[in-house]
Amino acid sequence: MDEYTIGVLTNVGLLAFLALSAYVLLVAGELSFGQQAFFGVGAYAAGVGTAMLALPLPLAAALAMGLGAGAAALVGLPTLRLRGLYFAMATLAAAEMFRIGFELFRWQVEVGGERVGPDGTQGFRGIRWVFEHGVEPAQFLLMVWALLGAVLGVLVFVERSRLGVAVRAGGQDPELAAAVGLDVLRIKLGAIVAAGALAALGGALFAHHNTYIEPRNFDIMLGVHSLAYALIGGLGTVLGPLLGVALDIGLLEGGRFLKEYRMIVFGGLVAVLLMFRPRGVLDERAVHRLTRWR
Amino acid sequence: MRWLLVAALLGPLSAQAQRVKADMDCRFTGADFVYDCVIRLRPPLEGIAIVVGADMPSMPLAHNVRPVKATPGKAPGEYHARLDLDMTGEWAVKLRLSGAVRDLIVLHFLFTETGVTPRRK
Amino acid sequence: MEPLVDFLQNTLDGIALGASYALLALGFTLIFGVLRRANLSYGPAIMLGLYVATWAHLHFAHGLAVLFLIALASTVLAGAYVERLCFAPHRGGSAVAAMVASFALWMQLEEIATLALPRHLYEFPALYDGPALSLGPLAVRPEALVMLAAAITVAAALWAILHRTRFGTAVRALIDAPRAAALCGIHAGAVSIQVFALASAIGAIAGFLIVASHAQVTPMLGMWSTLKGMLAMMLGGLGSLPGAVIGGLALGLIEAHSQWYLGPQFRDFVAYLLLFALLALRPPWMSTRSAS
Repeated sequence: MDEYTIGVLTNVGLLAFLALSAYVLLVAGELSFGQQAFFGVGAYAAGVGTAMLALPLPLAAALAMGLGAGAAALVGLPTLRLRGLYFAMATLAAAEMFRIGFELFRWQVEVGGERVGPDGTQGFRGIRWVFEHGVEPAQFLLMVWALLGAVLGVLVFVERSRLGVAVRAGGQDPELAAAVGLDVLRIKLGAIVAAGALAALGGALFAHHNTYIEPRNFDIMLGVHSLAYALIGGLGTVLGPLLGVALDIGLLEGGRFLKEYRMIVFGGLVAVLLMFRPRGVLDERAVHRLTRWR
Repeated sequence: MRWLLVAALLGPLSAQAQRVKADMDCRFTGADFVYDCVIRLRPPLEGIAIVVGADMPSMPLAHNVRPVKATPGKAPGEYHARLDLDMTGEWAVKLRLSGAVRDLIVLHFLFTETGVTPRRK
Repeated sequence: MEPLVDFLQNTLDGIALGASYALLALGFTLIFGVLRRANLSYGPAIMLGLYVATWAHLHFAHGLAVLFLIALASTVLAGAYVERLCFAPHRGGSAVAAMVASFALWMQLEEIATLALPRHLYEFPALYDGPALSLGPLAVRPEALVMLAAAITVAAALWAILHRTRFGTAVRALIDAPRAAALCGIHAGAVSIQVFALASAIGAIAGFLIVASHAQVTPMLGMWSTLKGMLAMMLGGLGSLPGAVIGGLALGLIEAHSQWYLGPQFRDFVAYLLLFALLALRPPWMSTRSAS
């Protein structure tokens, strides 16, 4: 594999974490415009961890996931009863507050004769754990995909459990789910927190892949893209978001012959696709049909 | 498979002795959004493979510009690359070094029709 | 005296800014009120309209009136296209799918615009390029007065359309009781595309005045218009036209004052904080009808 392919596959893996976090919420029946905030929290937390506090990456990533989950709970608790566009707007407002918070976040320490740390709108450079530890791009790619595989495994396990059924039920018809005795709000809070931790893990890896992060990386564009990936790929299986990311990045990178017309073609294709499959390519029905023969 | 992951996580603890820095100067070629850039490494290392990419600050992972390989210039530590951007505006230019040193250096520039200015020192 | 002058000047600036937000929110609210769907492509359609006008200005067209008509026509066309592709197929179906489809077309419209005009800044003929009017120690830009007058006129015209025409009656019936309206023979599909055309026209007025006031267009116009329109609509209580005007003015005032008293980074922060608090606490004037 050449370095370019490795780079593209790494990007797909990193975005998949964010798309999966949007997916978890979509399955739970909610629409978030704000998952980029937790991606950002994870990126900053892990960057601070390795570049400033000299923690090993696994520990920093775990810390990032914890903080991402905490931040998501902070946003989720006051908005738990909101539905639809109200919830989406509340998450957007919260995410923008986080982004402005990153702009105000200045904390630098001396590391090896250089000042390292977040510097407000100037961003946070020098997150070089990967290079300092001689991790080759291919090894980093493997790390990203191994973690993604682990996450997918956990999600598949949960989807097949009673909990997974409960999350889907609460998402499809909260009143009915509550009527059969499910604690819909607690399930939703759990989904919000899990989605926050997932996004933060992706952010932690992103910061180390890029070595540099800045507040504008985590604006609404990233959030709406991840939401679109999850929906395009399909809400029937955890592989849906991965497919959504792969479709977009694949076309972006592979469709060089279209070059400038790429987004025009892709935007139109997505709109047409959603006409026929409003819950994405791999929706529940498609998944059912594909798995029937087992 | 698993040992590779462990190796990646623990890593050979060979923190590189020197950290490379880079400067870049770009010039507008006159053709729409094509820029000729000169990269200077400090210290002036030779024989480094440099792949130059560019991102817009929002949507950092979906890169719009296909990365190009820089070619060595005449002076030691000097490399040339031609960037073909989609539009003017602010870009984060990423220099991915490999060979004797491995690193990723991110530089910010404002690309306009007249020239290119660094966003900060 | 000085603090009072500052306060009054900020208030004036806030109202001027708020007038543009109110205009954007009127168009956004009209669509949301009828369809209960958020049209993320609202801003990008406006952007495309203004980009077509700018392109025409660079090539052949002259005069603000001509440019306005070009912007109006192309925004309405773009709006109708968005309705056909993103909202007509999902009528009575998934709101999320409609919204994501409108996001996909956002990317498309923005790409068309920036393909035609790829620089990050283009000049646009100025609405007015003289000095500001002075009101004692205060300064007022004439463009701001035009914007305010336009917001009031559009709000009044919209009210008249909704309350004095057959089309308006159909729209209000769809807002209040969609099922009953269908039973009365109101064709939701036909009304929907007309609503989109009307909302796009309002958006084009807003976009044109904003661009001509600043005498420039940038690719940020699309995202900015959607965000500000949506934010003002939410602050105004979601889905009511007077609310859109109040929300727009409130957003302008909040931004102007927080920028002055707290610093530029708090300009947006305070508005988002207020929106978040309003949503979390849900005061009585926020509509509680499900938006999903």
